[in-house]
Amino acid sequence: MMLPFIGMVFTALKASDEIYLANSFSFFPKAWRIANFIEAMNLAPWHRYFTNSFFITFVVVIGSLFFNSFAGYSFARLKFPGRDFLFFFILIGLMVPPQVTIIPQFLIMRAMPFFGGNNWLGQGGTGWLDTYYALIIPALSGSIGIFLCRQFYLGFPKALDEAARIDGCSPFRAYFMIYMPASKPIYASLGILKTVAVWNDFFYPLVMTNSEKMRTVQLGLQVYRSSGTVQWEYLMAATTIVTIPVLIVFLCFQRYFVQGIMTSGIK
Amino acid sequence: MKNRPKRFFRKKLNSERIGLLFILPNYLIYTVFVLIPVIWTLYLGFTDYNLMSAPKWVGIQNYVQAFQDENFTTALMNTFLFSIFTIFPSMVLGLIAAVLLNNKLLKGKAIFRACYYMPNIISMVAASMVWLWIYDPGHGLLNSILMAMKMETKDWLFDPFLAMPSVILVNIWNGLGYNMIIYLAGLQGIPEYLYEAATVDGASKLRQFFTITIPMIKPITFFLFVMACIKSFQVFDQVFIMTNGGPINSTTTIVHQIYQNAFQYNKMGYASAMALVLLLITTTITLFNFKYGNQESDII
Repeated sequence: MMLPFIGMVFTALKASDEIYLANSFSFFPKAWRIANFIEAMNLAPWHRYFTNSFFITFVVVIGSLFFNSFAGYSFARLKFPGRDFLFFFILIGLMVPPQVTIIPQFLIMRAMPFFGGNNWLGQGGTGWLDTYYALIIPALSGSIGIFLCRQFYLGFPKALDEAARIDGCSPFRAYFMIYMPASKPIYASLGILKTVAVWNDFFYPLVMTNSEKMRTVQLGLQVYRSSGTVQWEYLMAATTIVTIPVLIVFLCFQRYFVQGIMTSGIK
Repeated sequence: MKNRPKRFFRKKLNSERIGLLFILPNYLIYTVFVLIPVIWTLYLGFTDYNLMSAPKWVGIQNYVQAFQDENFTTALMNTFLFSIFTIFPSMVLGLIAAVLLNNKLLKGKAIFRACYYMPNIISMVAASMVWLWIYDPGHGLLNSILMAMKMETKDWLFDPFLAMPSVILVNIWNGLGYNMIIYLAGLQGIPEYLYEAATVDGASKLRQFFTITIPMIKPITFFLFVMACIKSFQVFDQVFIMTNGGPINSTTTIVHQIYQNAFQYNKMGYASAMALVLLLITTTITLFNFKYGNQESDII
């Protein structure tokens, strides 16, 4: 299971003549060449890709945790007209593959009024395409997140709300003072699932961006292949570096990660 | 009595308006970027639309064309084959790994678990890049090993007969850990006394596995199967990166065709029709899950 990873790191450390010399294959590098990592990073604007990916992941994770837990709390604990009906529509989102909605999403992004040279009818420019808005805003909502938060809050005793209400506590205060401090486990597992999903996403940014300055790290890996022959040592070095952040998150929060999968089961 | 109207107002504000206020940001985004697009895709599927001129209504022509289009029928076929040959091996291997790791005598379980799970954490892009190197005909790991063993080397991803199995192998490697984690949870939920009773009755370990373990984890198996189906039908990244559908369309899939038609050939209407075929397939699987899945014992 680990062999491909080990191969990746070793290849990233090899000198190029060691890779391309025929009939002299060795799994271990003969000379450990750390410089490959620096050279690989200098071949493309990787600082830009990393900034983009870090920024997008950070904003999406924080924002979606807030939004999803708000909605989850509301669906689980508050009564308002049409609640079950509205929740049913959220569940539809669990069934629709993201690739099914990508074409209209693209068209909507392109037609955002007043952005990217568009007029008020959304004509003439590129709208939100190739901007952070396109990469962040749709990801802030999420059926799975709402669903999991709702399930989590349903497990809280009803007496909690009643006590809060009798004491004159508004739902806003009840959320911030009672529910939020008790939500650490669901924040942790949801946050980690979201971090990995956003950091690793390829299809969505591929469709929504086209310029160098908006590329994410996953799109950046394509750089080494578009230029004819593949420079394996650089490609593997870059792949290693792109993998490290998510690996660190995984190793630090392994417990929550596994918990997240267990409670969600859905990915 | 005097403060009744005020209390009534407060109650209304508290529970009803605020409830809506809480879901508002989410619902706005969700409506614009999920609900409306679903309906829009439905509409676009019946039109001819190339981004330049307005969509032109063409009825079911896109669907007729799709099912006569060899690229799309091949993609459908490939996606089915990909799903079948990915799902079963990775579930069986995942279960075996879980059973082995559930063994109390085994040391260093956490490390094994992390190792098996790791392919699932890293992006499909990174995994694809690593396997591209493994499959590289000239300098790759696989052919280098074959050469060292004086065996015939193969053009893994460039051979129309080998390309799909090669992509499938990557996916089995990738999905195994996820199945293992879920199975492991299921195995730990089986009460110990069942095995103790069986041991007292003289049932062998293998017999116990088939008469206790397998039936007890049936709901999990069903759940994993449905999830894996839905995920497999959406396969794109690895195909796009490793083979781009080639050679001679041997690895093209439904989503790959959607992507190509929509964003490379600008045939938005035609691609939307394909997207609806995908939606139909995944919805069928999900409804099948609702109908036959044992919801009570699901992990959800």
